[in-house]
Amino acid sequence: MHTHWHAFTVIFSRDIILVSRCRAELVNPLVFFVVVIALFPFAFGSDAELLKRITAGMIWITALLASTLSLEGIFRSDYEDGSTEQMVLSGYPLTLLVAAKVSAHWCLTGLPLIIIAMLTGFILSLPTQALQALFLTLLLGTPVLSLIGAIAVALTVGLRSGGMLLSLLILPLYMPILIFSMLAVENASAGLPIDAELYFLAGMLVLSITLGPIATAASLRIRLS
Amino acid sequence: MILKPLYRFASPQNFYHLSVLLTPWFAWATVLLMLIGLYGGLVFAPADYQQGDSFRIIYIHVPSAWMSLFIYVLMAVFGGIGLIWHVKIADVLAKSCAPLGLSFTFLALATGSIWGKPMWGTWWVWDARLTSELILLFLYLGYMALQSAFDDRRVAARAGAILALVGMVNIPIIHYSVEWWSTLHQGPTVSKFDAPSIHINMLIPLLIMALAFKTYFASVLLLRARTEILEYECNSNWVRELLNESD
Amino acid sequence: MNILNKNQQGNPDLDQAAPFFEVRMLECIRQDVILFQDVHFELQAGELLQIDGVNGSGKSSLLRILAGLMQANSGNVCWQGQKISKCRYEYQRQISYIGHLNGVKNTLTALENLQAMGALAGSKSDITLSDALIQLELTGMDDIPLNRMSAGQKRRIALARLLVTKSKVWLLDEPFTSLDASGKSVIERLIVEHCDRGGITIFATHQPMEIEGCAIRHIHLGKK
Repeated sequence: MHTHWHAFTVIFSRDIILVSRCRAELVNPLVFFVVVIALFPFAFGSDAELLKRITAGMIWITALLASTLSLEGIFRSDYEDGSTEQMVLSGYPLTLLVAAKVSAHWCLTGLPLIIIAMLTGFILSLPTQALQALFLTLLLGTPVLSLIGAIAVALTVGLRSGGMLLSLLILPLYMPILIFSMLAVENASAGLPIDAELYFLAGMLVLSITLGPIATAASLRIRLS
Repeated sequence: MILKPLYRFASPQNFYHLSVLLTPWFAWATVLLMLIGLYGGLVFAPADYQQGDSFRIIYIHVPSAWMSLFIYVLMAVFGGIGLIWHVKIADVLAKSCAPLGLSFTFLALATGSIWGKPMWGTWWVWDARLTSELILLFLYLGYMALQSAFDDRRVAARAGAILALVGMVNIPIIHYSVEWWSTLHQGPTVSKFDAPSIHINMLIPLLIMALAFKTYFASVLLLRARTEILEYECNSNWVRELLNESD
Repeated sequence: MNILNKNQQGNPDLDQAAPFFEVRMLECIRQDVILFQDVHFELQAGELLQIDGVNGSGKSSLLRILAGLMQANSGNVCWQGQKISKCRYEYQRQISYIGHLNGVKNTLTALENLQAMGALAGSKSDITLSDALIQLELTGMDDIPLNRMSAGQKRRIALARLLVTKSKVWLLDEPFTSLDASGKSVIERLIVEHCDRGGITIFATHQPMEIEGCAIRHIHLGKK
């Protein structure tokens, strides 16, 4: 019998290999991000002043949507081919294996999204303080999105109503993250300190790291029964 | 010692009969309290020196908001009990709470909007309390959508319980939002520890209305749960006998 | 010192004693329909049990309850005298469950799938992965991804879990689906060897079965 850490790395590396076999899964969220960002100027009539004011929000919302779309598939293939059952029966805590899957997903989607988001912010001439705040909030916020989103994905995996139901469940849970991140960026742009908002986001991160995988594992077990 | 009578009431059959017994009492209490509360709020309470008579919508708005939070917590607690101890009644009660919670949340938002138009000049403003109450609305909707997406009743109940428990994080945010952020919405009127900032003649009808809403909630909950239990237990003997009797 | 070793030290009997299965008064209700009631049986080491019944009689549900994936509405399943709900991890480390779904990843190769099975197993068997593939008549398919294999070949890879892991209890749900005659005889041979070694096999199928060298006990679900 191996240690828990071994089980974590087995699932983590397996998920990385699976995505590397299907590169589209890696690239699609990033392409989606860029395409949606490009939509905004069309909607707002390329008024430079207006766009400057909404850039940070645009970037955060689009990153959120891209993350949600890619998160949807995190448990689907395992559920459909029976791998979830085998994970539950492996004798290792399901919480641990779920944590491995979510970590792999964040490393493959969240991190690249942060990089692209920062590049976009830079290209769209976001002021430096706003860029810094954007980076910190994305860094703290995207893992929370993955961890909390995984709960909703686990609850709805394999259902007919799929994506729409998932969005209805996930987006209300995401709102506090978005609110605090945008507050931080706003305050940073105005030159005010953003410690409070960052502490809140960090608190949410710690809460979701500790409780998220537990709730996700419970959801998967419920779906399998 | 306390648990023994609880076990007895947790049996679906006993709950059904208890519900039949209690619902009329709660219903009459609701009518009585509503009449007293509305009279108190619309006639007895003095007009506010700033807002005149339009403040009176507070007697619907505030109790609705309180109920929306209270019902969500109750829904999550029932769901948790059903999840951990596999008590069928808890699942049934949780599911029956949801439409009521949704209605009260909607009522709170609607009356708040109606109140806000003459007061703030706008139907809606994106401040902390309104936004988090809106999130609560979506949480209720999501809960109901999730439950209806499953074919198996028991799986639906347990999935809903997890969702409700996860959404509990939103409740402290709504409750404390007016304290954490100075916003357009006014501060908390009634607090557990301080003297209320509202005149006593205005306060009493408010509390009576809150109680009336609670008894209303209790009576409708018992009614809904009763029906739900019949569907849950449709295979069992006592339900068959009950339906035969009524034929 | 890791937590898993501690658990094993706490319950030495669970691993060393001969397997003993006991199922009492099991009831299962799905979507308000009673699938089965009052199911009970006992199994000792080396025994083979077939669950038969028509489609929809609850065979898969019974197997899932035995595996611990689902909970019965009433009754209990006992392993070595303990309810499986009490010793979930120790119990699940000693069973292999192969359901309707194969439990393998289609984008990975045969070898990678077997490696993954072994990595998360309760205890690995001594056989090398290539030998396992040879035994399953899949020689030379080590590096072929599963999405290029036929349904029967994928089923064989799924059943390779039985070779790669060393479990005391095998729970097989319609194991012979998609298998041709030679595949069927390979699996039957594996089952016989497993029972000879003192393991327990419980499988569900609606076809009548005859396996040489092993007496099959039956339990029938649904109306006769």
